[in-house]
Formats: sequence, C-alpha cells, structure tokens
Amino acid sequence: MSTVQARGCPVHQGRDDRKSARLADANLAPAENARVVGSFAAGREILRSSKVRQAGAGAEMVDLSRPDEISFFFLDGDQHRKRRAAVAGLFAPKTIVTRHRAVMDRTMDSIIASLQERGAAPLDELSWQMAVDVAAEIIGLTESDSNVNLAKRVRAVLDSSVSHNPSMLKKLLFRALMMIRVGRFWKHDLLPVIEARRKEPKDDVISYMVKENYSRKGMIMEALSYGGAGMMTTREFIVMAAWHLFEKPALRERFLSGDEEDQFAILEEILRLEPVASLLHRRAVEKTDSTTRGGAMAEDETVCISIRDANVDEAITGPCPFELDPDRAKRMKVVGPYMSFGDGPHRCPGAQVALHETRVFLDRLLRLPGIRLEAEPDILWNPQIQGYELRGAVVACDQG
Amino acid sequence: MVAIRFIAADGSEQTIDATCGISLMENAIANGIEGIVALCGGNAYCGTCRVHVEPDWRAVTGLVTEMEEPMIEASGDTHPGVRLSCQIEVSPALEGLVVRTPESQE
Ligand code: HEM
Ligand code: FES
Repeated sequence: MSTVQARGCPVHQGRDDRKSARLADANLAPAENARVVGSFAAGREILRSSKVRQAGAGAEMVDLSRPDEISFFFLDGDQHRKRRAAVAGLFAPKTIVTRHRAVMDRTMDSIIASLQERGAAPLDELSWQMAVDVAAEIIGLTESDSNVNLAKRVRAVLDSSVSHNPSMLKKLLFRALMMIRVGRFWKHDLLPVIEARRKEPKDDVISYMVKENYSRKGMIMEALSYGGAGMMTTREFIVMAAWHLFEKPALRERFLSGDEEDQFAILEEILRLEPVASLLHRRAVEKTDSTTRGGAMAEDETVCISIRDANVDEAITGPCPFELDPDRAKRMKVVGPYMSFGDGPHRCPGAQVALHETRVFLDRLLRLPGIRLEAEPDILWNPQIQGYELRGAVVACDQG
Repeated sequence: MVAIRFIAADGSEQTIDATCGISLMENAIANGIEGIVALCGGNAYCGTCRVHVEPDWRAVTGLVTEMEEPMIEASGDTHPGVRLSCQIEVSPALEGLVVRTPESQE
C-alpha cells in the first residue's frame, strides 16, 4: 500500500499517510451502547476523571471483589493506584536507560546475528522476540529454558486467545487447547520464577505478586495481561514503523542521521497516525461536569474514546492532520504520541519502554548492509483487540 | 496571569506569564522551558517534569502528593523541594514563585 491522496486534508491538499485508517474505518466496533468521543480535549478530560471506570474489553464481567485475581487494567481508584505505584519504578526513564536498554541491545545482537545468518526473516517474528524479551524482564519471566521458547509459548497463548471459534465443538476444543497452552506457560515459564522469587525477590512484577500472595490464577492473568498489553502492541508497532521507514527514503535518512530525540519524534508521529489501540471505553459512576464540548457524562453512561479520531483532531494537530510530520508535536507543544498510549490513571506505563525498544530495533536493523523489505506486510484486522495486525513482511540483508 | 521564574541548572533564568487553572508543567511547555520534558503529558507517570521549589515557596506549593511519590522515588531525585510540576496547579497565590529545573530529567 502506498500513500493515498484521495482522503488527504481537503483544505491544504495534504497527503494521507495512514496505512491502517481505511481498514480501521471499515472494522472499528465501539460497544453498542457507547457514545463515541473523538475530540482530544474531551477524551482526555474523561480519561482523567476520577468518576469514570474501565468499561469494554470484558471489564463488566470481572469480579472486582477478588482484586488479587485480576489484572490492574480492570481496577480503579485506590486499589489501582496502589498497584501502579508498586511497579512504577520498573517503567521509569532512569530504569529504561540503566536496566532495560541492556536487554534491548542484547536481544538486538542475537536478532541481527540470526538474520545475517539466514539472509531473510519474517519481520513480525523479529519484532515479537524484541517485545517479549523486554516485557519478560519487566514481568520477571527470566527462568525459562530459552527466550525463544518463552516467546513461542506466550505467542501460542496470546495469538490463539483472540481467534474466533463459532461452533460449540470448536469452542470446547479451543478451550481444551488453551488450557494446555496456558498450562505449558505456567509450568515452563511462570512457576520456576515464582519459586525463585520466593527464595530471593527481585525488582519485577512477579516478585511483587509473590509478596502480595496472588493466587495462581491471578499471577497467570497479570502476566498474560502484560503480555497482551506490552508484547502484542509493540510487535505491531515495530513492523508498522519499519514499513513507513522502508517506504520513505528521506524519512529513513532523517531517522538514521538524527539524534535520539529526533528519532523518537519520528516514531511518535508514526504512532499518532497508526495507533495500535484504537478504542478506550469508560463508564461514569456519577454525573461528570465539563467545560469541554462532549466531555460531560451522565451517570452510568458509557463512552468510547476514539484514539484514532483524537489523534487527528485539528484543534490539537494543526492543519493536515493525516500527514506524517515529525515536527508537528513540537510545533504544537503536545506530547508526541498524542492519545496513542491513552491518558489518565490507566495511561500505558510501558509507553517509554515501547518507544525505546522500537528505536533500538529500527536503528540497528536499518543500518545493516544490504537491508531491504523483501515483502510488504498484509494488513489485517483483529476484531478482539480492535487493532491492526501486520503479517507476512519479510526483511532481507547481506548474508555473512 | 502570574509571573513564575524558572532557573535552569546552568543558572540561566526565564520568567513566564503563567495561566491560572492549568498546571505549572503545561505553562512551562507552552513557554518553551527546556528543563521540563513531561513525557507522559501530565499524568504523574514519567517524572520528567520535576522542579525544585525554592525554600520560601514550599509552604505555598505544598508537599509531594501520594500520586507523585512513586515517580519521584524512581527518579532518584532527593532534593527537599522536589515536586512534579504537572501536579501543581497555577493559582494567583503563586505570583512570584521561583523554581529550579534539575540538571537532567532522566
Ligand atoms: C506501542 C506499544 C504500546 C501501545 C500502543 C500501548 C497502548 C496502551 C494503551 C492505549 C493503554 C491504555 C488502556 C486503557 O486506558 O484502558 C495501555 C495500558 C497498558 N499498557 Fe501499554 N501499550 C504499548 C506497550 C506497552 C508495553 C511495552 C508494556 C509493558 C511492558 C505495556 C503495558 C501496559 C499495561 C500493564 C497497561 C494497563 C495499565 C493500567 O490499566 O493502568 N504497554 N497501553
Ligand atoms: S508530565 Fe509526566 S510526571 Fe509530570
């Protein structure tokens, strides 16, 4: 797919550089009862309100009376704040530089070595390895037989957990298969860490869960939530950013010659146009007041904040919102990713981690002798996570 | 509008006309204060909007809130006047406030 002119900014005749927008427009499915909010200001106000709760993504089915069995994604208020605070340090800019950066470099060394040996490889396989290794360090999944096997086992659980299985028989088979896959993950990856951390706690999510006496179910849920939230999203984003950079030589040149700040600006602008998560649902537990149009909520009302719309809201992007312009955020004095990592108490804790690992990945990959995108990805829609998936991209480089 | 003075680690100063009702961080960004990074856009989740409030002003700006503690701790910044500027709302009481920005926000 290449840049399309037709849907560009009508006033400024700007380009539409988005690759995922058409597919998203055709497939996005906000919850049935939800009012869609597309304004950045209103969305931000709602997400920051203390009167709203998580909704959608199965939030209504979660048993909040057992907080030790559910991911903090579904918690709100004090319980949520306490859990976020306990792991906040794992995501701090300083921790990224002093600790996670080494994991990123090490993973990239092995990805590059294996790519050079093979000559070509599926890009989403490489980006998955990076996403898994980095998230695994944060979660504490460090006692597996190998990181490649860990990546395979997590992929088996997460990728299949979002597939459609309409018939009853298929559903039963699917459930049995899932139990086996989750069982393998528990036995080979989670249990060894739990035992190790009981003896000697470290600074990671599993040590925290062990200290707080999480149930087996709670530990599996939390570890897999991090997997879904941190690994699947980053895998797609790395491929999307690579696709843009392979396709646009001037942008690639700027990326490779720029300093870290400029590289981040480029990546954030790509993420603004191609947000991996598209919709955030919230329900108001009481009426909320607002000075922003569309920002007020009635008691019990559910809204669906459209990240895609908020990210191209001209009030905050300035003109030509569909154009890839890495200088935009600085010019507009806004955070670069706009709404792509959400906002408010549930804002993605892994935002900086994801941007760093994507930067490290692409900086190393794009400097490889003979590097090229041999096959462009197919862009698919995953209805369960309401986001795009890029499959089939192949990168090749000089062998040696 | 209230006047707020930012002093950078190298001693250079900039006084801004800050708007009441929004955070000190938002005012700093709008006025191009370089020492404020604010990666998370004001959610108390990045710790890159830290300021060191001058001793005379600490009673007015208030103490570090529970929301701010985790990221301040993670940053390793132990300055007695440290606050996250995204959690300080500008009000007329802050007329003349003086804050310093740390050498690095990482
Ligand atoms: C490009 C990559 C990523 C994107 C686009 C992304 C996006 C998001 C968004 C939009 C949310 C907010 C959900 C909501 O408000 O309901 C979120 C939450 C979350 N993300 Fe990320 N994320 C990414 C990477 C990561 C990474 C690398 C990690 C961890 C290693 C991570 C861990 C989480 C967790 C644990 C939550 C739940 C936070 C809470 O509910 O308080 N994410 N992410
Ligand atoms: S802007 Fe991130 S902590 Fe203040």
